[in-house]
Amino acid sequence: MFERRMFLLAGLGAMPLLTAVPALADTNGDRAIAFIKSTSDMILGAMRRTGSTEERRKVLGPIIDKSLDVDGLARFCLGRFWRTATPDQQQRYTAVFHQVLIGNITAKLGEYQDVRLTIGRSKSQDDVEMVSSVVEHPNNPPTTVEWAVADAASDPKVIDVVAEGTSLRLTQRQDYASYLTHNDSNVDKLIDAMRQQLTQ
Amino acid sequence: MNADLRTTAVPTVVLLARVWRFMLFAGLLAVVMAGCATPPPADDPDAVAEFKQTNDPLEPTNRVFYDINNGLDTVILRPAAQGYRFVVPGPVRTGIHNVLTNLNTPVQLSNDVMQGKPRRAGDTTMRFLINTTVGVAGIFDVATGWGYPNHDTDFGLTLANWGVPEGPFLFLPVLGPSNPRDAVGFGVDIAQDPFTWVGNSTAATVFNWTRYGLNALDSRERYLDPVDQIKKTALDPYATFRSLYRQHRQGDTKALRDDNRATIPVWFPQAPADAAAVRNR
Repeated sequence: MFERRMFLLAGLGAMPLLTAVPALADTNGDRAIAFIKSTSDMILGAMRRTGSTEERRKVLGPIIDKSLDVDGLARFCLGRFWRTATPDQQQRYTAVFHQVLIGNITAKLGEYQDVRLTIGRSKSQDDVEMVSSVVEHPNNPPTTVEWAVADAASDPKVIDVVAEGTSLRLTQRQDYASYLTHNDSNVDKLIDAMRQQLTQ
Repeated sequence: MNADLRTTAVPTVVLLARVWRFMLFAGLLAVVMAGCATPPPADDPDAVAEFKQTNDPLEPTNRVFYDINNGLDTVILRPAAQGYRFVVPGPVRTGIHNVLTNLNTPVQLSNDVMQGKPRRAGDTTMRFLINTTVGVAGIFDVATGWGYPNHDTDFGLTLANWGVPEGPFLFLPVLGPSNPRDAVGFGVDIAQDPFTWVGNSTAATVFNWTRYGLNALDSRERYLDPVDQIKKTALDPYATFRSLYRQHRQGDTKALRDDNRATIPVWFPQAPADAAAVRNR
């Protein structure tokens, strides 16, 4: 009897929590949506203002640093090789990853002038908010793009972009993993190859 | 006119047959020379997990085909697609793309039905009816604006929806990234295409090969920029294309499985759950 009452009390105690959870998730979703909205406005605005690639890199760099979890991405993309890398290698790799990422994003955005982004809903997946959107640009069918936002409540950061079901960070990780597998798992060689890319 | 068509069509077929025979020969040679990928040592569980996840036991052979395809693409298809983009204005290319998409609707509809997706089948039917008539033989995609959007589908996805696993990754000559399931799907789609069976008159042959050729040009033209971009930014383009292809197919399969839109008209008395689903749409 006592146990049952305790159980009931515990249940009642948990009730506000249970009702609070969906509300919390909703606000997190809204926060994530607002975050993606302001970030994409900033990026698209910067694209419109700037002309040359060099100029774009300079303007986009700080925006990317602020809105993307670059260090976390770098770590994820190195996958199982992160653990075997020395602290020095990790540091050099993260630095060059940073530059490669900014370069790639600038080049990718250069393809998509007059792009239009319509932001849809957000749904929670574990601790991450997935904000859906539709990207439209002339002469192309609309593309669905999902933005994975971590820490939506406190310090929102984009940790992945999923375009038409393909995750950008997963693709990058598999690219690096394959390169490393064919190059004696040598992280230094990977860093050199990434540097090589930057000079191209 | 007819004689003209015959002289141009026949050598094309013969040429393609020769290319195929060469590819087959090159393929056999590649299999003999390259063989299978060596699995990583069992004492490295992370490497083993990665090997299993990549699901590419024929990697060395696949890479040979990737190189062959890449070579053919560099000298034939890519320049052709660039020429196509340069010569044909954008709106005309869109029109051609729409006609090609419309010609594919019988195959699409057949797959929608086999997948047990009535709403998709409805979309496809309406698209065909609207675009063939109002859209002037499919040149204009009116249906999308009227609420019947296009969706990609093929027999590979039908098999996926039936629960057939993808199997090991394959890089096929000419066709590119695939797997046993999607390769079978490709064959079945040709077989279930009514245009394959319109008869063996010269006109039919010319029509079909023109359609295949235009399809290749159209899709290559659409991928010109992304493919160039990947080749420039990827350290291992083969691995990147493999990853993208597999993720894309898995994404399409998921989207197909999750597409369970209600088939009851909005005005019909509905079950509460369905009504809620309709309201939320």
